[in-house]
Amino acid sequence: MTLKECYNALGGDYNDVMSRLMMEKLVQKFVMKFLSDASYKNLISDMNEKKYDEAFREAHTLKGVSQNLSFTKLYLSSEAVTEALRAGDYDKAYSLLPQLEADYEQTVSVINEFSSGV
Amino acid sequence: MSLFNIDRPKVLIVDDSETNRDILSEILGDEYDIIEAVNGAEAIAVLQKESVNISLVLLDIVMPVMDGYEVLSVMNDKHWINDVPVIMISSDNSISSMRRAYELGITEFISRPFDALIVRHRAVNTIMLYAKQKKLVGMVTDQMYEKEKDSHMMINILSHIVEFRNGESGMHVLHVRQYTEVLLRQLVQITDMYDISESHISLIGKASALHDIGKISVPDHILNKPGRFTPEEFEIMKSHSMAGATMLREIKAYQNEPLVKVAYEICRWHHERYDGKGYPDGLKGEEIPISAQVVALADVYDALTSERIYKKAFPHEKAIEMIVNGECGMFNPLLIQCLEKSQEAIYKASHDDDIDEVMDRDAVARNIMQYAELSSSEEILRLLDFERMKNKFFSGLSKDIHFEYTISPPMVTIDPNNSGFLYEKAVIMNPLENEKLKSIISPEDVSGFLERLGETSKESPDMEYRCKTVLDCEPHNMQIYCRSVWNSSGELTGVIGKAVDLGYIQ
Repeated sequence: MTLKECYNALGGDYNDVMSRLMMEKLVQKFVMKFLSDASYKNLISDMNEKKYDEAFREAHTLKGVSQNLSFTKLYLSSEAVTEALRAGDYDKAYSLLPQLEADYEQTVSVINEFSSGV
Repeated sequence: MSLFNIDRPKVLIVDDSETNRDILSEILGDEYDIIEAVNGAEAIAVLQKESVNISLVLLDIVMPVMDGYEVLSVMNDKHWINDVPVIMISSDNSISSMRRAYELGITEFISRPFDALIVRHRAVNTIMLYAKQKKLVGMVTDQMYEKEKDSHMMINILSHIVEFRNGESGMHVLHVRQYTEVLLRQLVQITDMYDISESHISLIGKASALHDIGKISVPDHILNKPGRFTPEEFEIMKSHSMAGATMLREIKAYQNEPLVKVAYEICRWHHERYDGKGYPDGLKGEEIPISAQVVALADVYDALTSERIYKKAFPHEKAIEMIVNGECGMFNPLLIQCLEKSQEAIYKASHDDDIDEVMDRDAVARNIMQYAELSSSEEILRLLDFERMKNKFFSGLSKDIHFEYTISPPMVTIDPNNSGFLYEKAVIMNPLENEKLKSIISPEDVSGFLERLGETSKESPDMEYRCKTVLDCEPHNMQIYCRSVWNSSGELTGVIGKAVDLGYIQ
């Protein structure tokens, strides 16, 4: 799987990330590093413990990272959760979590597949 | 990689996301040394340690412990923002948050997702801009120094002509100038009655060199007469103050120059007395311009402590005593107070015969600092930096804990080189609620300590407190030495101190 195919499979924007960060090697490194980014797991555990301030920061971080890497799909669902938490609308935030989870799992499994071939 | 790495600019990246920090490090790492901080508090700790060595800060807004805005407030409070540029990187690019960040002094705002080239360009531009400004301040200082030195030299040469005729060494003008400046600096400390700025002080100092130019019109045989003057001779001698003023008045070209105006006041009125019994006009009290009042006092002190054809030099203490007792004329009580308060500086100046010392670079720098656009605290920071380096070396030799506590934001910074037995990270937010601190110091000791702290004042800021502490599960005695820190409006802003382990309690 090429990096471009990886981006297509996870719903990202390959051209955008390449135009901003320029080097394929660099992008590849960060894509793989995304697997160890803890913000999603922290977000989920903060939501379970109803620690909404912390949850907001984690969602915000996840949003920022996926935005930087042009993981467009994951960016959109993490942004939705971030904004719900920012507005204090926790019910809405919970209702958006399944979509975020699906997008996150999709992203991670595609990256796993991609990195096994590197 | 190479030796040149030592001189690479340091960039501090502050972001709670490791991925974001990594991307920025990758983008900038080729050209800069990167220091990373995971939240605002860590960033402050780095700035505290490195201050002006940091060429640029890349700052995220939303972070745990301390966010980007709080970092900017601290940087403002400590005046770091004048010397350390900040680029804020955020996905929150609403007008209100960008405005807020700019109002707090950031140089640039970069929105996420960022473009590698744009980040690189902005970083370079910002660093260059600040470097250029620092260089310019240095160049302006140098130029002003050169220019001042020349004009200074001319004034000194001219005023020495009078003194050489008088058979004196030429040190008189220099000393009068130094005493004048010392007294004026003291005066602005104790009263704001007179509107005197730093550049005004140096202007009066410069003009003081001309106080006796009128003596050129006094015939030799009177000027150099060893014995007492006859009443007629004394009248001629007394005419020198008005003669000097007239000479200045007749130089038509420079009538509006501040230097000439001040010199005129000094020439004409430096023999007036505060009680109105002086000459030539018999001005009284504050009718006498402050410039002339100060030069008069400086002149008398120098006359007393110098040898003359008709008298020996009095020692410093004796001269002060004679002036304070009113044996040498009547002066403004505030100036007498200044004289007594600045005795040490005056005594030092009287033994300082080095002409260059009179016009030092510090004075120029002080002058430049007045202009808001150039109010660079950089020099001061550099000095602090050196002190810190010294401190680091000496304190590295001991096992004590060195700490700094600021009330707002409530935070203890522990010197990483001197964390002693604490093995603690460098910054502890809300120390009174910190579990680790609670576990080693009892609540009674904490409140006892705070009580002692409450008893300190700006005038007596130092205190000591002995308490028990638990180290490695064993009871120890600990002695804490502290100095409370106060701001200019008299509020307690924090504490610096060290804690010394006095050893295991049997």
